[in-house]
Amino acid sequence: MIKSPHFTRRKLLTAAPSLALLTGIGGAALAAPEGLTSETLLMSRQGKGPRIVICGGGWGGLSAARHLREELPEAEIILLERNPIFWSCPMSNKWLIDVVDTAFLTQDLLRPAQKWGYSLVQCEVTNIDRAAKTVHTSKGKVDYDFLILAGGIRNAYEAWFGEDRQAAEYTRQNFGSAYIPNSEHLALKNKIHNFKGGTIVMTLPPPPHRCPPSPYERACVMAWHFKVNKIPAKILILDPKPQIAPIGAGYKAAFEELYPDIITHVPNAKVKEVDPYNKRIMTEAGDFDFDDAVFMPPHQASDMVWYADLIGKGEDGRPTGWADMDPRFFTARGDDSVYIIGDSMGAISPHFGHYPKSGHVANYIGRIVAGNIGQRVRGEDVVAELPDNLCYMLVNGDPQEAISVEFTYAVGQDGLVHQTQIDIDVRTPDLMAEDFVWIDGMFNDFLR
Amino acid sequence: MTSCAELNRRQVMIMGTAMGAALGVSPLLGTAAAAQSSTAAARADTAESDRIAADFIGAADAVSEGLALDLPALGDNPSAVPVRVHVTEAITDDSWCEELIVLAERNPMPLACRFRFSQASGAADVAVRLRLIETMHVRALARMKDGRVFDTRGQITVAAGGCGL
Amino acid sequence: MANPPRIWLSNETPAKDEIVRVRAQVVHIMESGLRLDAAGAPIPRDTLTRFEARLGETLVLDWLPETAISQNPYIEFTFKARESAVLKMTWTDQHGVLAEAGRQITLS
Ligand SMILES: Cc1cc2nc3c(=O)[nH]c(=O)nc-3n(C[C@H](O)[C@H](O)[C@H](O)COP(=O)(O)OP(=O)(O)OC[C@H]3O[C@@H](n4cnc5c(N)ncnc54)[C@H](O)[C@@H]3O)c2cc1C
Repeated sequence: MIKSPHFTRRKLLTAAPSLALLTGIGGAALAAPEGLTSETLLMSRQGKGPRIVICGGGWGGLSAARHLREELPEAEIILLERNPIFWSCPMSNKWLIDVVDTAFLTQDLLRPAQKWGYSLVQCEVTNIDRAAKTVHTSKGKVDYDFLILAGGIRNAYEAWFGEDRQAAEYTRQNFGSAYIPNSEHLALKNKIHNFKGGTIVMTLPPPPHRCPPSPYERACVMAWHFKVNKIPAKILILDPKPQIAPIGAGYKAAFEELYPDIITHVPNAKVKEVDPYNKRIMTEAGDFDFDDAVFMPPHQASDMVWYADLIGKGEDGRPTGWADMDPRFFTARGDDSVYIIGDSMGAISPHFGHYPKSGHVANYIGRIVAGNIGQRVRGEDVVAELPDNLCYMLVNGDPQEAISVEFTYAVGQDGLVHQTQIDIDVRTPDLMAEDFVWIDGMFNDFLR
Repeated sequence: MTSCAELNRRQVMIMGTAMGAALGVSPLLGTAAAAQSSTAAARADTAESDRIAADFIGAADAVSEGLALDLPALGDNPSAVPVRVHVTEAITDDSWCEELIVLAERNPMPLACRFRFSQASGAADVAVRLRLIETMHVRALARMKDGRVFDTRGQITVAAGGCGL
Repeated sequence: MANPPRIWLSNETPAKDEIVRVRAQVVHIMESGLRLDAAGAPIPRDTLTRFEARLGETLVLDWLPETAISQNPYIEFTFKARESAVLKMTWTDQHGVLAEAGRQITLS
């Protein structure tokens, strides 16, 4: 075994200025010169409790971290998140027309880590070695007793462009979907506010995808902006589904009554080919030229689920794109030290497929899994629990009116999970008021 | 404005319950999902629907005009097919619609709903959502103050799948 | 109830005799009485039985839904705004009054 000189140095580092490491400010600078190899330890073991590593500090990961701390005061909880700050996708459509400001969406990640008492490390998860129970990151490796994968989604541009990464990157840069917390949201807002007129094409991913009702909300807020600013814009929603769903009737009424000259919904428009350079898209419902676009490619489980080799296989033997997991306990199939929560989760029930890929569900599953891990560590029976879901979607800017969809779950006699869906498609201001109450409750739970 | 104060109070309560939902207090509705099967079956003929219509028409001569029935070309969601019915002639203080019924002809219980209006209504224009057990005709009948009865039917094709009956 | 009635009005300050459009929706299971539970026993019927809208004291609409009406019943109707008054709406099912709501209509 090679005794490297930085071993002792690293030990010093982890012992003393752990805050610098946690914050990521200065930590990299201190460790940089000779410290980083693929064998670098991100953090040495502390305390006597089990170590739980959470990959991804979004809605699911932050919720799990907070509730795990309460479940297991002794446990070592390490949250790995690549972004320097929290950016909320929920409410981000509303932010496009300034219903909320940027400070509302961006939140300090350090405060919840301090408040609830877990370790936050800003780094990219680059690989997962389940045999060695080790996560590899851009700042070193870390071993775990329990692992929670909460990376959200990835954009599967391969479905459109195969191996042509240039085309994928060009599309992302110019026609980004703004469905993952990153710069695309800011770019989209600029695009909308600088648009002078013409046709904007918006593609919806095929189901399952992140937040099914929100692309239509996006169309509504964009149309509202164009309407009040008298910008001669058309929005073509290219929808692979045969009809608008969920809250179809509410959206249809909004499109027809509020934005009849702006929004056109094109059903059955499965994407066949995208030519981003010549601004042309070919679909099963026809070919369309565009001046600008918001392209949402198909969604899949986040990269880390692929690194962990936990993507399910369909009957055809091809990857489903989503985690292969137990639908009631959220553990990876064949490896119960690994949990998958949030949007990366695979199918739950043959009756309805996936849980809605929402922040509400990610938070809920984060709480359930925290409870389940607590039960396991304490040697108690593990109780399978069911989430619910609630989403409010803004369709009108003035007055601010929203519609909503709610899901409840129950286990049937067949032992499978059944879903009840409640679409509220009468648009009202009180639904928008409830949306604020909802997100306040959420942020208070895991973020503030 | 006492009503406004009342509304505000209710809004506060709404927010309370929304919080409850956000924090995991599940509503009771989930139990419905656990049902296994249904005895609902489409009717083989329109006899029951015709009988209800005949009752409604009574001694009047029903005419196939005066009433507009808007149905989507395809009921892509059989559990919520939007239907709008309205009397096409002017509603006035002397001539108004007293009663209107909607029939889902082949549903197990064809009478979908009944509407009653008054002179004060000043209108007869309604929309509801139906659950339709299969592709069928929807029929609407309206009786005016002077006893005239309007009768109209429209075909609706529904996509396969449960209608929730 | 977890979900109060949702109400949309085309105009809360209409001109006299203007036709106002109303949309209203409540959450209700609309159990048809035709379904069987997991054990094969019939689930009793539980439907909305009546919706009433009054402008002040005056009835403008009486709606009697049956089993063919969808879950979470949606009703859209119009009425003539003859006076400034509260538009009162009441939903009843077989257990009694399910929900009540009021919206002030003020003639402009
Ligand atoms: C426009 C829009 C509107 C929406 N509106 C609503 C709404 O109103 N209500 C609602 O409930 N939901 C809404 N959603 C959905 C919601 O945003 C997601 O469902 C939710 O964020 C899922 O939580 P998650 O934890 O799975 O993923 P995320 O919240 O995306 O978190 C994943 C985290 O993992 C990090 N990560 C990923 N890969 C790595 C890696 N390799 N290394 C380190 N970190 C990594 C990411 O940076 C991210 O912070 C909306 C989404 C969008 C796009």
